[in-house]
This record gives sequence, C-alpha cells and structure tokens, in this order.
Amino acid sequence: MIDKKLYLDNNKTVMFGIFEDPDKFLHTVAQVNQNGANILDCYTPFPIHGIEKAMGLKRSLLPVGAFMSGCLGFITAATIQLYMMHFDWPMVIGNKPTIGVSYVPVLFEMSVLFTAFGMAFMFFVRSKMIHGKLPQERIDFRQTDDRMVVAIATDGPSVNKSELSNMLFNGGAVEVKERTNHGYEDFTDVDITKGSNINASANH
Amino acid sequence: MIHDSVIRPQLVTGDKTLHDVTTEICRPIENKPTTSWTVGFILSVIFLGLLLLSLGVTLAYGIGTWGLNKSVQWGWDITNFVFWVGIGHAGTLISAILLLFRQKWRMSINRSAEAMTIFAVMCAAIFPLFHMGRIWVGGYWVFPLPNAFGSLWVNFHSPLLWDVFAISTYFSVSLVFWYLGLIPDIATVRDRAKTAGRKFWYNFFSMGWTGSVRTWNRYEVVSLVLAGISTPLVLSVHTIVSMDFATSVVPGWHTTIFPPYFVAGAIFSGFGMVLTLLVIARKVMNYQDFITIGHLEAMCKVVMLTGTMVGLAYITEFFVAAYSGVEYEQYAFINRATGPYWWAYWSMMTCNLIAPQVFWFKWARTTPWFIFMLSIVVNVGMWFERFVIIVTSLHREYLPAGWVMYSPTLTEIGIFLGTFGLFFTCFFLFSKFLPVINMAEVKGILKNRE
Repeated sequence: MIDKKLYLDNNKTVMFGIFEDPDKFLHTVAQVNQNGANILDCYTPFPIHGIEKAMGLKRSLLPVGAFMSGCLGFITAATIQLYMMHFDWPMVIGNKPTIGVSYVPVLFEMSVLFTAFGMAFMFFVRSKMIHGKLPQERIDFRQTDDRMVVAIATDGPSVNKSELSNMLFNGGAVEVKERTNHGYEDFTDVDITKGSNINASANH
Repeated sequence: MIHDSVIRPQLVTGDKTLHDVTTEICRPIENKPTTSWTVGFILSVIFLGLLLLSLGVTLAYGIGTWGLNKSVQWGWDITNFVFWVGIGHAGTLISAILLLFRQKWRMSINRSAEAMTIFAVMCAAIFPLFHMGRIWVGGYWVFPLPNAFGSLWVNFHSPLLWDVFAISTYFSVSLVFWYLGLIPDIATVRDRAKTAGRKFWYNFFSMGWTGSVRTWNRYEVVSLVLAGISTPLVLSVHTIVSMDFATSVVPGWHTTIFPPYFVAGAIFSGFGMVLTLLVIARKVMNYQDFITIGHLEAMCKVVMLTGTMVGLAYITEFFVAAYSGVEYEQYAFINRATGPYWWAYWSMMTCNLIAPQVFWFKWARTTPWFIFMLSIVVNVGMWFERFVIIVTSLHREYLPAGWVMYSPTLTEIGIFLGTFGLFFTCFFLFSKFLPVINMAEVKGILKNRE
C-alpha cells in the first residue's frame, strides 16, 4: 500500500533544487519530469495547483475509502436503530410504525461522521502522519515558509547530474544540492547551512 | 493553469511576499502577548469563572435555580442553546460552502470562523446538557447505551435525540476539518520555533508535516470531500434543531417553514458574530491587508441577504397562521406581536429585518466601525428571535389556566454571560497559540492565482 519511493532515504543519492518562485518552480518540475528524471517528491509551503500533473502523480483513491467509511456509518446507524427500536424493545409512540422516516436524520449524521473520521484516519495512515513524528524530509527550514523544493533521484548511470543541475538553475533554482552517502554536495556557491545570500523578496 | 487575474481586485493587499505572510501571521504567536490581549483574556477568564459558579449552583441545587416554571419549561437555556448553535454555523459555511463555490475570499477568514464554530458549539452544548439536571447520568439519556433499567433504549423517533447526533457530529467533523487545515500552518510555526517548548508542541501537533506534494495532493482531496459532506451537514444541523420545535404541537412552533428559516437565521447570526470578531481582530492584530474591506463587504452582503430571508420568514409565519384558520395558531402570533412580550418581538423585527437593510448602501458595507455596530445589533436580534419563538409560544399555550410570565434568574443570566467568557477565553487562547489566518491558503492567492 505504501509507495516505497516515498522514503527519500531509500535512494542513495538525491538532488534537491530549491526555488523561491512558485511559477518558475512549477514550470521547471514539469520540464524535469518530461526529460525523464525520476522526481521523488516536491515540498511546497502551499498547494501549487497543477504540480501533481507536472510530477505525473495519479489522483488519490481516498474518496473511495471515504465512501466506504460512509457506507459503514450508514450500516452502523441502521443496525443500531433497527435493533433497538424494532427488535429489542419496539417503542410504539402515537401508534406510529417502529421503522420509519424518523431513522433518516441519524442515518445521515452517522454516515457523515464515519466519512469524515474514516477519511481523516486514512489520510494520516497513507501519509504516514502521527502526532510527535519528526519531519523527515526537511531539506530546508523554509520549505514550510517561502521555498519550494524538488527532490530528484540521481542513482544510476543514465543520470547526467551536471545537465540536471543546469536545468534546475536555468529554471530559476536559488540552490541546488545533492545528498549522497557522504553528506551534502552543493552545486551552488552559497553556504547552505547559513542560508541563501539571495534576497527572499527579490523574486516576488 | 495559473494566471494572474487582471480584472479582480487583489484578495490580499500590501504587495506581500510569501515570507511576509508567514512573518506577519506568526507575529502574535511568536511575540509576547500585547496589553489588549492580556486585558481581554483576563476579562474573559472572569466571565468563565462566572460560568463555573453558575453551573456549580445549578448542580448543587438543581435546575430549580432557573426561572423555568410549569408552562415555560424552556427559557433562556434553550434560547441560548439555539443562539450559540446558530453562531456556530458561519464557520462551516465559510469553509465548506464557499470552498465548493470556489470563493477565494474565504481563505483569510475561514480559520477564525471555524474556530468560532467549535467554541460556539461548546457553549451551546452546555445548555441542553445541564438542563437534563443530573448530568452525571445523562449519558444514558442521550446515547444508546445499555443501562440498568432493562433493555430500554433512547428514542430514535425523537428530534431531541436527532439533535444529540447532529450536534455531536457537527462538533467533531468541524474539529477534524479545523485541525486538518491547521497542520501545514503548525508545521510552519514549528520550523520557525526558537524555544524548546514551542519546538516540542508544534512538532507534536504538526504530525511530521513537510509540505510534500504527495501529501498536499491527498490533503486537497480530503479537504474537498470534507467540504462536500460538511455542506449538507451544516444545513442538516440547524434543520434538526428547528425540528425540536417544528415536530411539536405547540402553536407558533409546528410550522413547516422552520427548517429553511432556521438555517437562514443561523447563517445570518453566524456571519454577524464573525463580523463582530473580525472587525476587532483585524485592527488589533494588524491584519487589515489580509482581512480587507472587500472581505467585510462580502460578509455584509451575506448578512443583508440572510437577514431579509429571515424577515420574509417572520412575515410568512403570520400569513400562514392567518390562512390556516386555526385560532390557537392565530392567537400565538397576535400574542407575539402585541402581547406582554411585544418588546421582544419588535426588537427582533427591528434588528433582523430592518437594520441589515442599511447594507444596501456601499458606505455602510465598507465602514468598519459601522459594520461592528450593526453586527452587534444582529447578534442581539438573533438572540431575541430565539427568545420570541420559545418563550412567547410557551407562556400562553392552549389552557389559559397555565398562562404564566417568565423571567430569568440570576443563575440563568450568570450561565449566559459565562458562556461568553468561555467563548472568548477559547478565542483569545486560539489567537495566541495558533495562526488566526490560514497561511498556506493565503499564500496561494497572493498573486490572484487561479
């Protein structure tokens, strides 16, 4: 169920391109993907629409799970009401039938409740999110602030690293670095541990 | 496809960069509390103390300490319950319905409106729970639990039980929706945190969020589906609240217009409260660039529309009573407008139908201090609406022998004022520890991206 490619640690070498302009970022990711590079993931501070297509991601199947959770809620509510009101202790009020439209509100509410909780639960499981987990793929502290990161696998003989880094720079990357078994190799002249020397607001 | 709209005005003004958004919205969290925050918070806590005291009195002596009597079994308690539940509707409306309609102006206000929803529903829940009297055995009365009295279950034919399911579902789904929306922003605060405590807690609640596009992709799907199911949910909740009344045989209550009328009223009062809070918050927290006059204007339009719908419902009720030929029904409405509680009825009409009509004028929709005053009028008017429906219908029912007048006791007043304490205490804590504006969403609309 879990896509192994999600773990960046499973790949020996990964190149990161760090951007500050969402439009340039989107354009470059699409270009890199078209050139056949293996994009592992991207990290953005806000949802950039169209990037999932640029990366070639498929639509999530979570709505199917949500629908099934909703059905489970419906069945649960129907079972509870039928058992309690019709079989176990038929409660006749005003000579009205023990099964009727008065079941509808609770059926609806329980379906919604189960859908919401089921979907949220599946989302957390699928995204491997749990309270207290450390952010594992934090390439730049500003990837939740104003920077976008693309992570590209650079294993294998067919990968031309200098061409890839050029493509990222030409696309507008402010930093390009590669993670190998020996640590980070920086393709920019900037010391990444001290942050970029580029004015953050210059590109906006 | 991303493009910059040249026709529409900017939703976020001030020509901000992504980093500016983060810095400005995180400022209240990262700085020491301001004097206005401290004063407001202390005041709220005092009122919260009043709530605890009044509830303590209720528990110690029973609900005899409330002004309820043989005819008016529901007084301020259910009035306040419906009042708070109504206020709780704007949050989900803004975040769910406006999301489905692709209204991007919601993005600056949805977080605080959702928070308001959750706190308002908490306040609302106090009233029916404590009205049960012995709240410690209340679980058996509201949830289908096996109990000591044989296999006697809760009554699923009763709208009061539907209400239990509706309100608890609404509360929990709103909480999930709110929390999911908060996760990316909590991660942003985490990555800027300097102190160990802050690092720990924001890390704990950010659930390892890194902003991965794969996660964003799923997150967007979850948001859309949650919005899709929250939309009928928000409509169902006040519909079911209205059925507490509409399915009874009390003249003035059993009308088929109640569900849509209550939903319109809920949106009306919810937006009233959102305006009250945000007009102050944008000024105090210096968020005028995010919550612009354009946002206030859009909300004023909703207030005007729903206020008119509610007013139409008031008039329709009179017509239906006259047309029905049922004298009890007719008397209930004549009594509302001209009986001993006429002042409540006409306060309601003035505040809800007449006052919001000033929003036809652009000046009224774009002047913050005036909007604030009007929003208070709306809040007062909607409280009176519930008072009118509940008390004027009950105090003169079928038998004149049971006709009474109702007035609240100090305990009831204490609980009502105390719920404001609870509401504002929660809101002040929220504004101190969590980003009041959804940074991630606002970043997406900086350049009018579509």
